[in-house]
Amino acid sequence: MAARYESGRTAGAFMVFLLLLLLVGAVGAYVAWDRGFREHPQPDWVRATPEMRFKYGSLGAENDAGIPYWIFYVLPRMFPEKLPGPGGYAALGVPWEQGQELPVGFTKKTIGFPRVANNCAVCHTATYRAKPDEAPIFVVASPGHTTNVEGFFRFLIDCAKDPRFNADNLMSEINLVTKLDVIDKLLYRFFVIPITKKRLIEREAQFAWIYRKDFPDWGRGRDDAMNLTKYFMVKQPMDDTFGPTDMPSIWNLQKYRADQGMFMNFAGDSHDAYSVIIDSALGLLGAPPAHKQEFLDEVAWLHEYLTKLPAPKYPFPIDAAQAEIGKEVFAKNCATCHASARTGTPIPLAEIGTDRNRLDSWNKNAAVIANKVVTDMGIQRKGLVEATLDGYIAAFLDGIWLRAPYLHNGSVPSLRDLLEPAASRPTTFYRGYDVYDPVKVGFVTEGAEAERLGSKLDVGQKANGNQGHEFGTSLSASEKDALVEYLKTL
Amino acid sequence: MDRQSDAQRAARWRGRFLALLALILVPVFLLGIYLFQRFGGDTPVDYASAEEHFKYGSTGGEHEMGFPYWIWRALPQVCAEHLPGPGYESLGMIFEPGKDVPVGTSKRRYQGVDRVFLNCAVCHSSTVRTEKGKPPMVVTGMPANNFDIMKFQKFFFACAADPRFRKEYVMAEIDRLDANLDLLDRIVVYPVAIAIMRERVLTLAGRFDWINRQQEWGPGRVDTFNSAKVIFNFPMDNLPAQEMSAPADFPSIWNQKPRQGMNLHWDGNNSLVEERNKSAAFGTGTTPPTIDIERIKRVEDWLLEAKPPAFPFPVNAEQSAKGGALYKQYCAECHGASGSDFGGEYVGKVTPIAGIATDRRRLDSYTPELAVNQGTLYAGYPWRFTHFRKTFGYANMPLDGLWLRAPYLHNGSVPTLRDLLEPAEMRPKVFYRGNTLYDPARVGFVSNVAEEDGKLYFEFDTRIDGNTNVGHEGKAYGTELSADDKSALVEFLKTF
Repeated sequence: MAARYESGRTAGAFMVFLLLLLLVGAVGAYVAWDRGFREHPQPDWVRATPEMRFKYGSLGAENDAGIPYWIFYVLPRMFPEKLPGPGGYAALGVPWEQGQELPVGFTKKTIGFPRVANNCAVCHTATYRAKPDEAPIFVVASPGHTTNVEGFFRFLIDCAKDPRFNADNLMSEINLVTKLDVIDKLLYRFFVIPITKKRLIEREAQFAWIYRKDFPDWGRGRDDAMNLTKYFMVKQPMDDTFGPTDMPSIWNLQKYRADQGMFMNFAGDSHDAYSVIIDSALGLLGAPPAHKQEFLDEVAWLHEYLTKLPAPKYPFPIDAAQAEIGKEVFAKNCATCHASARTGTPIPLAEIGTDRNRLDSWNKNAAVIANKVVTDMGIQRKGLVEATLDGYIAAFLDGIWLRAPYLHNGSVPSLRDLLEPAASRPTTFYRGYDVYDPVKVGFVTEGAEAERLGSKLDVGQKANGNQGHEFGTSLSASEKDALVEYLKTL
Repeated sequence: MDRQSDAQRAARWRGRFLALLALILVPVFLLGIYLFQRFGGDTPVDYASAEEHFKYGSTGGEHEMGFPYWIWRALPQVCAEHLPGPGYESLGMIFEPGKDVPVGTSKRRYQGVDRVFLNCAVCHSSTVRTEKGKPPMVVTGMPANNFDIMKFQKFFFACAADPRFRKEYVMAEIDRLDANLDLLDRIVVYPVAIAIMRERVLTLAGRFDWINRQQEWGPGRVDTFNSAKVIFNFPMDNLPAQEMSAPADFPSIWNQKPRQGMNLHWDGNNSLVEERNKSAAFGTGTTPPTIDIERIKRVEDWLLEAKPPAFPFPVNAEQSAKGGALYKQYCAECHGASGSDFGGEYVGKVTPIAGIATDRRRLDSYTPELAVNQGTLYAGYPWRFTHFRKTFGYANMPLDGLWLRAPYLHNGSVPTLRDLLEPAEMRPKVFYRGNTLYDPARVGFVSNVAEEDGKLYFEFDTRIDGNTNVGHEGKAYGTELSADDKSALVEFLKTF
């Protein structure tokens, strides 16, 4: 009787213990979910206008590619020497609106804890000014000609590799700027910081080619897009190709008519705009989307928005009479490629003669694998062109004034320079300064400030060749001036 | 053995065990309570009157930056040769009778240590003498014309690097002050505090190393926005030369209410009073998690209505009336209808640098890179900074209490109002700053005396970059008026 009573009591105590354990486990699991993984939508202001949504709206990249917000916040303070210059992230030339917490193209979203990632706008927002003593104007869907993408990639990796990147140092820096509660402090110290360090260091191997001494820097406003795809999505081993190109403008996408034999990307690598947006967005995510439908909805919104978004008008005075003359020059010399059925279709390299490195940085096999990777995610799109490509696309010229420097690799500073024979074009200049030069049509590429803020492009370095596209170069100086005047109207 | 004796024995052992446990736990518990009381608190010293709170109240800066009280008291003796003269007075700090710390410092007990650090008043209070030999009067809210903040910083940096900044020397000086520290303070708290303070000050000295390569700011001036770059740890040595050497006068801070929405700061880079205040509070050692919002608010509220004292000398009514008409014609659009009515089309707006043409260093020291970074300050708080903007000129200021705001122009390069009405060519090339004696004729502080009673005044050289006295001249700025008209205008400005 007593024994049974005893064992009954033990069983009761065990049950209580079990319940307590379950309760603790449940609370623990809730806290872990709440602080580690619970998703909160971005605040309402982010989607207040389509432009704001483009600039600050999340694509879902915070899940895998996101940097924990407070780490992102303190890194420039802890490792300023790893940035290209003074100014925190601003030293990377990212478009950054005054009064905003983050630069354009940087998204903040709380998934358990606040995280920062990127969207399209980081590479597709331009700034320009008429003169140095003036605030810049921001234009979305433009080439992000000031952004030093490579510098950003390197900065994060270099920070993570530094022995000072540890929980003690980061926490003491974070404690100077915010008050985390006990749970967040523990979470940061024991999980967020070590995991972030590990994940960033892992990137080094994938990004090996951006550290190669035999390749020049991408510099402001360029990225080696096809190699990024090849090494990250396709996971091919590093080869010796290198083909950085200008960030393209992505307005008015409706002009790319796939049904009329047009292709997208500089070498016609992709079938249509929808495919390009998917592939670029997946590049930002760095992984299959955590929420596929949300991701596809956001891509669909971007496609819709960018399809109809018009190119920005030239904001400075135009000499109408000159432009009228230039229109004739254009019709005779340029229209066959840039305003005809050929526009948007590939021109063989033999004909165009520009630098071939970008073309060599991609291959048919990579396209086949990339398409399979995306299909395996359950995402349908026409995708990359599974063929060996041999030329560059004849570009549409809408908003051409804001698309300097010119040629696919940004090797020619201004439109006026492009109309000179290759031998007479500038051999070195500075990219990424945003003061505009309405005479040559392009950005100012020399002088103390351009040199201080910009990155030097040397046309003698790999993939930087400024040869080719020697069309209209034998026109008279006055015809060239008139032509340039007309191009301002596009 | 029967069961009962077993149980008895067990009970006895249990009793012994519990007694032992109590013997251990009770002292531990009591010690815990003691330590909690000794080191747990966070208590600022408060003052009943708003003006006293402005002078001596806390902004919360002591949490992060506070100097332990007795170290603060001892350092002027420990490192006497790093000061221009005896005590903090020699840096231009103001000691009022019956106070153990100067105007512009606050006290707080935090983590078991009484701490001292700066507050707003250190840069925004000063003294004025109306007559030689008369005692100076303390004026709150006026620019701290005599406080040499560069020398203040350099004193602590040099002292922390001095071999005497260790407990043997510091504790000896503390003893001479009759501190009567208890045993815990003597053997643990203060020795540790000395080591921590040395490390912190030396870290800060590293980040402020650039001030050693600037001209002397002299009393009453600070390079505000190069200092702000230190918050972000910008690599200062890599900044372009045109951004550096940009000292500007401390401003007066009365009448903030009618200033709300104006372009504040010399270059007008912020239009929200509260944000500008929190930005300035970084200079008093605050950080977002440690700022004392409630006590800053008390200062803020007081400043909304704070008024400058009236001109303490006679004003010629007839001349002033004549000057008033000239003022209306020449000055009012940019500087407001009067010292209390700030109405005017261009008041609180930025005049492009090409128009005002004053020294542009201060303007260039504020960069777009800094402006966007300031947008990250107070991230996560409802009052995150959203109003900093790069501008391209200087803001037109209201002129309340103008007589106390000498020397003039943003960089304090023109000693008196009367001098400001001369073309730049005719303004004094070299003059002396830091005198508290007032010159009611020219309206400004006495600026032609190099030394008085052994005190050397600061020689201000307008030929140095950042110090130039150009601009704010030409017909529109009144520099082409007749001498009589200029005198009349100056007479009218005394009423502000």
